[in-house]
Amino acid sequence: MNKLTLIFTGILLTFGSAWLGLVVYPVIHLGDVQPLPNEETGGVLPTTLSGLAVAGQKVYAANGCMECHSQQVRPDPLTTDIAKELGKRQTVPRDEIREHTPFLGEYRIGQDLSNYGTRQNDVAAIHRHLYAPKSVTPWSNMPSYSYLYECRKIVGQPSAHAVQGLTGRRAPAPGYEVVPTQQAEALVAYLLSLNQNYPLPESPEPTAK
Amino acid sequence: MSNDQSSKPDTLSSADRASIDASVSAPVILFFGTAIFWLLLGSAFECLSAIKLIWPCLLDSCGFLTYGRTSIVSVNALAYGWATPAAIGIGLWLTARLCRVPLVRTKSLIAAGIIWNIGTFVGVAGLLIGDNTSISLLNFPGYSTHILLLAFVLIAAWTIVTFNQRQSGPLYVSQWFLVAGFFTFPWLFATANQFLIWNPVQASAQPAIAAWFAGGFFNLWLAPMGLAAAFYLVPKATGRKMDSQHLSLLAFWSLLLFGAWSGTSRLIGGPLPAWMVSVGVAASVMMFIPAIAVALNLHFTLDGHYAAMSWSPALRFTVTGMALLVFTWVLAAINALPSVNSVTNFSDITRGLNLLGYYGFFSMTAFGAIYYILPRLTGKEWPSSCLISWHFWLATSGVLLGASVLILGGLIQGFALQDVGVTFRSSMDFIFPFRFVAALAALLILGANVAFALLFAGLHWSLRRPGTSPAFIAVREENSQEPVAV
Repeated sequence: MNKLTLIFTGILLTFGSAWLGLVVYPVIHLGDVQPLPNEETGGVLPTTLSGLAVAGQKVYAANGCMECHSQQVRPDPLTTDIAKELGKRQTVPRDEIREHTPFLGEYRIGQDLSNYGTRQNDVAAIHRHLYAPKSVTPWSNMPSYSYLYECRKIVGQPSAHAVQGLTGRRAPAPGYEVVPTQQAEALVAYLLSLNQNYPLPESPEPTAK
Repeated sequence: MSNDQSSKPDTLSSADRASIDASVSAPVILFFGTAIFWLLLGSAFECLSAIKLIWPCLLDSCGFLTYGRTSIVSVNALAYGWATPAAIGIGLWLTARLCRVPLVRTKSLIAAGIIWNIGTFVGVAGLLIGDNTSISLLNFPGYSTHILLLAFVLIAAWTIVTFNQRQSGPLYVSQWFLVAGFFTFPWLFATANQFLIWNPVQASAQPAIAAWFAGGFFNLWLAPMGLAAAFYLVPKATGRKMDSQHLSLLAFWSLLLFGAWSGTSRLIGGPLPAWMVSVGVAASVMMFIPAIAVALNLHFTLDGHYAAMSWSPALRFTVTGMALLVFTWVLAAINALPSVNSVTNFSDITRGLNLLGYYGFFSMTAFGAIYYILPRLTGKEWPSSCLISWHFWLATSGVLLGASVLILGGLIQGFALQDVGVTFRSSMDFIFPFRFVAALAALLILGANVAFALLFAGLHWSLRRPGTSPAFIAVREENSQEPVAV
């Protein structure tokens, strides 16, 4: 071990092998996964994101939602994710191709969101949850995202976009309304799009035991 | 036992040592000083995040201080503001000492230090305004990582120059680790940024690369730099040589091989090919080998000389750091077993293991090295041995308390998350008291870091009467190789 060249060669072999296996291999074999045709609608699976949902992805990343919410359903006998109804099947690479960055997450400080769009489709309810989490779920430990909303005095007609049904401490005073900013609208569009409830051949739904 | 020369740290005369230390002083002090600033900032944000976890209403009208931003600011400020510059500072000093040549072209290193800190500042500011890439340990926006890579290329180039000019003789074990760290970090960082941030590949290919980077950042960058420091300081402070050359060799090569492949074990059940996960699990479990090799080698070197830990802060911090490194690797190996991981994944155990590895191992080892290095660079002694003692006990109790409650609480939370009959709400109720204690532990760690920053400030600007004799934290009983050992 007295020669620098020996050490360099060893590092090249050990570290380089992992680099080939864990970087180059995925870039070549997973870097060009194609969506599948959806025979029912004539579209593709997974469905492409709307422009607003793409903007919502950026809001999701900017506010570090991934620090608390995972987006991955693990397979059945290994874990109970499917039994706990986080999703009907395992998350696979093809599910990620609509994303810019996969938000897999490392923690479940909050609930898994892989299939949030299948559990919740009420836009007003999502806005209420983001603006005042404790008014919807009293035991929630999610912080309020009220900074994505504007609380303003109603002048003339109330806004058609105003968040309806807010109750509790954060409800606007009479004569005021809470209006989502563009960012909040985009985030809600992205959350609604979270849905892995479509069939993929490489990820069959586990059959009943 | 080996009689090989390469198991002795160095055989320099004290005049040579002084001239090498003087040449390296300016850039190393720059790296350490700025690192301590980011350490304070990062741990303050860590405290804020830990409190927000138990009290989510705190400052929640403030968009740039939402939990999702404060927690990534703390992780990235600590990784790129504190840990990496501290590792670079230690690495530069060790390189000059072990190559036995005074440092040349220090201006380019000072420039690299300034550029690195500009990059970190831009990155942290980017995170606060919402430019988060959402990739663990690579959250900094692309425009700041270009700056960081430029700075590191300057440092790596300088290291190669110094290694080329080294005095002939066998390479000491710390030098292997230095070469490995300085060589793999730019490779890791450039590859991950290229494929994930600058020109991102399709998202389906990204999880494997991100996991490879996160594993490599700890096992192939921070771990080798910490081990280089420990394998130099422990023989120096005890006046012995490393016990076994063969164990050092085993630790080095097994760390490089298994460390490089270990990252994907964090994605068990995730969306990537099954063989990648299997390799990651196997490599993580095999990390038992470097763990045992390091533990035995250090133990046999210290055997009969553990008493030196009572008076030498450098040795006390370093040995604590090494013990926690071994402990981290063992726990990470257990956590990588799929049957264990199906319970522990996504729970606060991950936070506990990160605390143990990044603070318990790396920061403690870096503190030990800085306690040893700075008096030699400045010619002044640490101003207060009492404050050093406070630093040690606050840091140790903070790490042990925080890691144990997060691991225990995480285990309960993990079983709740896994059990089909238990609601998600219950998993939150179970973990709450543990998170409360973890927030207290974060405050202890902040206190420890403040004590360290005060010591650094006192050493530098002589806020108090500078110590004239070495700041031993107890009566010294044994002699070290060097006269001014602290």
